[in-house]
Amino acid sequence: MSFEALRALVQGWAGAGLLPAGLTHGFLVNALLSGLVIGPVLGGLGTLVVTKRLAFFSEAVGHAALTGVAIGILVGEPYTGPYASLFGYCLLFALLVNYTRNRSNLTADTLIGVFLSVSLALGASLLLILASRVNIHILENVLFGSVLTVDDRDLTVLLAVATGVTALMLPLFNRLLLASFNPALARVRGVPVKGLDYLFIVLVTVVTVASVKIIGAILVGALLVIPAAAARVVASSLRGFFLLSVAFASVAAVAGILLPVQLALPVPSGGAIILAAGLLFLGALLARLFMKGDEG
Amino acid sequence: MTGRGIHGPAILFDRVDLTLGRTAILEGVSLHVAAGTVHAVVGPNGGGKSSLIRALLGQAPHRGIIRLDWPGDGPGTVAYVPQSVEFDRGLPLTVEDFLAVLCQRRPAFLGPDRRMGYGEALARVGMAGKERRRFGALSGGERQRVLLAQALIPAPDLIVLDEPMTALDEAGIAIFDSLLADLAAAGTTVLWVEHDLAQVRRLATRVTGLNKHVLFDGHPLEMLSPERVFDLFSSVPRRAATERIAS
Ligand SMILES: Nc1ncnc2c1ncn2[C@@H]1O[C@H](COP(=O)(O)OP(=O)(O)O)[C@@H](O)[C@H]1O
Ligand SMILES: [Mg+2]
Repeated sequence: MSFEALRALVQGWAGAGLLPAGLTHGFLVNALLSGLVIGPVLGGLGTLVVTKRLAFFSEAVGHAALTGVAIGILVGEPYTGPYASLFGYCLLFALLVNYTRNRSNLTADTLIGVFLSVSLALGASLLLILASRVNIHILENVLFGSVLTVDDRDLTVLLAVATGVTALMLPLFNRLLLASFNPALARVRGVPVKGLDYLFIVLVTVVTVASVKIIGAILVGALLVIPAAAARVVASSLRGFFLLSVAFASVAAVAGILLPVQLALPVPSGGAIILAAGLLFLGALLARLFMKGDEG
Repeated sequence: MTGRGIHGPAILFDRVDLTLGRTAILEGVSLHVAAGTVHAVVGPNGGGKSSLIRALLGQAPHRGIIRLDWPGDGPGTVAYVPQSVEFDRGLPLTVEDFLAVLCQRRPAFLGPDRRMGYGEALARVGMAGKERRRFGALSGGERQRVLLAQALIPAPDLIVLDEPMTALDEAGIAIFDSLLADLAAAGTTVLWVEHDLAQVRRLATRVTGLNKHVLFDGHPLEMLSPERVFDLFSSVPRRAATERIAS
């Protein structure tokens, strides 16, 4: 089914009052579709990000997207989706961080701090140079995400990336996890630890880049971290951890996209999504406090 | 498993050198582990025992030859019990989840694969009924038992143990005894790094003393006599040390 047909269907249901009225707008249907894709994938991948202590890394890759956009505009890619520069720069950034981490005696957070700062400085400088050329709203969208600008090309990129990432993440889930428990034991069990390390970095990066449109460069990393963190707080098994993280991320994504439109609030989608995720996290913390209280 | 005869490999270390950075960790280590025996490696802390294991598992760059001679057509199953696993203790991961992550292909969050026999392996290490306990909340000894349990899935032909008894209590030691006896009876080759010499005297078929070089190699009862043990664990010459203690 084409996006067109799907959109018409949803708009029809919204018109008939079966779905929120906002969904009579085509752009919102697009945004909602991307939210329904982003949520589960980021939520699922997030459990690995949190377990492998890559939270700061995923934030940094999101921020690198800012620089990627600047480079894209500089080299003349379309403002609305400079994907070649985005993917190119962010992958370069991520692989460079990982490569250097394996070869320096610095801890990951220090190293990421260095790379992040330099990358942001580069991005900010480029954007100021380009300031005369670009509409400031474009910057706003890049930084904080927008539901207005998700077109069919963005949806296609997102769907392709999400499908690829899911197809790799699910069968490799155990091995990705095992590699971080004990690399020696993982290798004995046939896990190519180094290779999977790089693969995971690439998965996080491409999913992050594909989600920039809707969540924005500043906040995209947070949807890999907050839902998983919230799930971790309340879960008592791996199953609970994974399923709750997927659920939290999906709820946050959908709520963050629909609520501002429903309530006519001038909030960017990225901000609303992460605020929703933050509320879920708070709820999880409170729930844990109560559970602890019951135990005595 | 029992009655298959010896199905573990023999292992040959021939003039193995291992240098990390500029430090020589192992120098000219030659050692033969007979198939289907319980071969212990003892030595002081930092003597290179764990490094020898890493080299055997193909995870440390070394010179010299390390060869596994498998009795059958091809390589069998190698199991490894590390000294410890380092990870976030607060992770929502049950004992069963942990085994699932190690042993099965199906994503562990979909639940344990019942065909893998996790419950049975846990029962063999005295952890029956603790499948749902949080792995991070286990005591050191319990974690060590789970690490032993994972090495039993699938049934190993060669099992490499790195100080598996450190945190075990009396009951744990008894379980380890019978596990080792089972493995030996089944013809599994056991390479066992251990610092508790009394246990080695009791349970090993053969013992090698290692401190960068091979210090001795032979039958545990002959090799682990009191003076040898003193030499092994003392970096100062024996006479000097004895005098210092006497004065
Ligand atoms: N990655 C490394 N780089 C440099 N030296 C190391 C490294 N790993 C271990 N060593 C050194 O190698 C020596 C042997 O270590 P190890 O094999 O763990 O000893 P054992 O297991 O016998 O206590 C120690 O002195 C240790 O400091
Ligand atoms: Mg050691």
